[in-house]
Amino acid sequence: MKTDLSPRMKTALYGLMCVLLIPFVFPTWWMITSSVKPISDIFAFPPDLWPRRFDLTTYARVFELQPFARQYWNSAYIAALVTAGTMVISSMAGYAFARIKFPFSNAIFMVVLLGLLIPSEVTIVPLFQIFLGWGMINTHWPLILVPIFGAPSVFATFVMRQFFIALPNELEEAARVDGLGRFKIFWTIALPLAKPALGAVAIFTFLHSWNLYLEPIVFLSSTQMFTLPQALTQFTDAYGGAMWNIQLAAATMTAIPVLLVFIVAQKQFVEGLAHTGLKG
Amino acid sequence: MAPVTLKSVTKSYGATSVLHGIDIDIADGEFVVLVGPSGCGKSTLLRMIAGLETITGGAIEIGGRVVNDLEPKDRDIAMVFQNYALYPHMTVATNMGFSLEHRGGSKAEIAERVQWAAGILGLTHLLDRYPRQLSGGQRQRVAMGRAIVRNPQVFLFDEPLSNLDAKLRVVMRGEIKGLHQRLGVTTVYVTHDQVEAMTMADRIVVMNGGKVEQVGAPLDLYDRPANLFVAGFIGSPAMNFIEGIVTNEGLVALGVTLPLTNSAPLGTKATYGIRPENLTLAADGLPAKITLIEPMGSETQVTMTLGDHTITGVFRERIAARPGETIHIRPDLNAIHLFDASTGLRIE
Amino acid sequence: MSASASPNQKRPFWTIARRDAAAGYIFIAPQLIGIIIFVLVPLGLVFWYSLHEWNVLAASFNFVGAANYQMLLADPNLPQVLVASAIFSAGLVILNMSLALLLAVLLDQKLKGMVVFRTLFFSPVVVSLVAWTIVWSFLLQNNGGINGMLAMLGIEGPNWLRTPTTAMISVVVVQVFKNVGLNMILFLAALQGVPKELYEAARVDGTGAFKQFRRITLPLISPTILLTSIITIVGSLQVFAQIAVLTQGGPGMTTTVLVYYLYQQAFQFHFFGYGSTLSILLFVIVALLTFAQWQLRKRIVFYEN
Repeated sequence: MKTDLSPRMKTALYGLMCVLLIPFVFPTWWMITSSVKPISDIFAFPPDLWPRRFDLTTYARVFELQPFARQYWNSAYIAALVTAGTMVISSMAGYAFARIKFPFSNAIFMVVLLGLLIPSEVTIVPLFQIFLGWGMINTHWPLILVPIFGAPSVFATFVMRQFFIALPNELEEAARVDGLGRFKIFWTIALPLAKPALGAVAIFTFLHSWNLYLEPIVFLSSTQMFTLPQALTQFTDAYGGAMWNIQLAAATMTAIPVLLVFIVAQKQFVEGLAHTGLKG
Repeated sequence: MAPVTLKSVTKSYGATSVLHGIDIDIADGEFVVLVGPSGCGKSTLLRMIAGLETITGGAIEIGGRVVNDLEPKDRDIAMVFQNYALYPHMTVATNMGFSLEHRGGSKAEIAERVQWAAGILGLTHLLDRYPRQLSGGQRQRVAMGRAIVRNPQVFLFDEPLSNLDAKLRVVMRGEIKGLHQRLGVTTVYVTHDQVEAMTMADRIVVMNGGKVEQVGAPLDLYDRPANLFVAGFIGSPAMNFIEGIVTNEGLVALGVTLPLTNSAPLGTKATYGIRPENLTLAADGLPAKITLIEPMGSETQVTMTLGDHTITGVFRERIAARPGETIHIRPDLNAIHLFDASTGLRIE
Repeated sequence: MSASASPNQKRPFWTIARRDAAAGYIFIAPQLIGIIIFVLVPLGLVFWYSLHEWNVLAASFNFVGAANYQMLLADPNLPQVLVASAIFSAGLVILNMSLALLLAVLLDQKLKGMVVFRTLFFSPVVVSLVAWTIVWSFLLQNNGGINGMLAMLGIEGPNWLRTPTTAMISVVVVQVFKNVGLNMILFLAALQGVPKELYEAARVDGTGAFKQFRRITLPLISPTILLTSIITIVGSLQVFAQIAVLTQGGPGMTTTVLVYYLYQQAFQFHFFGYGSTLSILLFVIVALLTFAQWQLRKRIVFYEN
């Protein structure tokens, strides 16, 4: 497989990859550039790869048409809480399943893994009833609690468990001899060494929460409470037609911060994901 | 410093029994090596002394105190692990001071102890490094440093040299021994390498199949092995064994009669043991046909057939003969071991 | 403490093992309790609801036994919904896995600038899902960018999202481009985990590149292929936002997959009882597929640690 390639082969490979890149890169690029074009230029053909004229008033319109700043905050703080909560719960559970001997641990682990087979799409009707009973409809509680305890956190627990299983047992034994109890071993030895796995868990969880769509439209009813994915689909004119330029401006704003974080930390991103224990 | 006493210690995992009643008395300041083939239970026993494995039955005392139900941290022991178990995310200094940190030492006190230990082990210039930046030998020293800063009553070593290359192993062997002489702390050392056991121990405990085969000073074990297992385990190359029957002429075996000095009852079925280095070349000796010659420079190791038996000899002389030719050998009459064929026990 | 306690003395209740077990239960408690409240109890409730005729608007909640399941079997829409789900999932998994493998193999070559390519191929994963879908829905319009480009080549493109066959293709392709980067990264990690000596040995044996890939690479990364395919297939059954934004299940019902149908029945038509029956169906499908793939593991995964 890995022989040194001839120059012709190299050129061919680069060419192939550049062509393949188009559907991956063009939509994002087009979204960003179109969001600063006047609406008439968006439909110009062939499309301009760089905007001929800039029109930033659409960005202002995003905030006029909807409480977009508030919606942005909603999405951001929900995703932050879900990510933090999942990291705490799944690193503890993953550690215990990997490292601590206690009765029925395997049986309990199987029960927890069941959660992977039961995505919230399956249980959305009773979840709606449960949160209705708790008076939490049109609040953010369902969007926080369901992912922290449901399938996404089970996946996170699985990833953490795989990581901790691979951690040398001797390190913990040394720590026990050094005088540490379980909680301290977890906190000062196991967790600091689990940063790659925690990073992967954080990325998965954040993106999952950031992209949630079914839950918000089921649980939320007032625009003040909306999250970004839901808000993006609400930019329509009086006839229900999409207001493309405004939608693209709003979409760009939801995409840019995560993209920037990704570009800065792409190495940690990619390597974190590669170390999720899914390598087999 | 403290003596360590094991009283009928047993260990089982469910129905599987791995240690069947171990009794060992380790004196204050003694260097004891537990040695045996893999799976003999030596590491399990060490880990039970450390408190890393629960004790199924019997009692372990450290300094006269039963420690069966004590956490490792409350046993006042320090342990050096096979793979060093250095915390990868901490510097050498933090690694070494870590246990003191959790025992409530003051910062200055910890720094002083770490400096002291680093001085002894020649680690002073490495204190700010991380484990991944160290060589195998340096990591080994840090692992030892971590053990000595605490000034524990007992040191436990679990095959600490098995990850080092042969040359470094000899160096570290000397260092550990030197450290013991300097600090005089009771030490229990586990290894599968009988050379390590012979060179380092005050006393050796030979274990096999979850039982103690023999306890004694290295040369006692070499000179007077209590049974076939110890005889075969201690010494390299291993002792030759030939089965036969004791008669007036000596031990009669298939195709050969071997000289005897022991006064075993006539007609006893016995195993005759002679170490390769206790065979000498002699013109009037027993004829043996050479199958393999391995010159080592200082000595020559020869594999040969004596009667129907394949045996090994180690000779100081250089041997000009070639495989297929016959040489004449004689066992050193003062170094013959005789074991009962049915019990495997030594016959005096 | 008595200095020489005898071993026969009463052992303390909190032995090392007991204390550790207690710590274990404390560590898993949040997860376990959460799973019970937010996953297992709801699953039980879904089943309970599915035995009832429940119309929220009419405020009726009557036990009807298996009636909802009989309705399910008789539902004239269901075959179409299941076919749409099957086409979507099969198309997505096949396209996603093969494209991910192709990209991973390309990125595994010794070429400069691979990190840049890797970053760009991965980038859609971090673009928020609805934003990505909105952009594509714009590009796929009748007068959108895709048809514009086709027109330049002299081809008159279809109205992608309003034509039955192309609507399904569009939904699948948009989703593949969005998420293929994840599997690509996992495959790449697996490829890089194959020991180089194996390829060197194969070259010494005179094995060609294609045969090396089939006989060495594929078997060795088969555990990764299996795991990612399970995750991808389970994920494909949960697709909702893309359908809601791109086609709303149309045209007709050609892109109405099971989750979308479930959402319509429960939250648009307020048939909670029947919606719950559909949930049970979804659960059974997810469970059966996962189980089947897990069983397959024994046959197709050649190698495992």
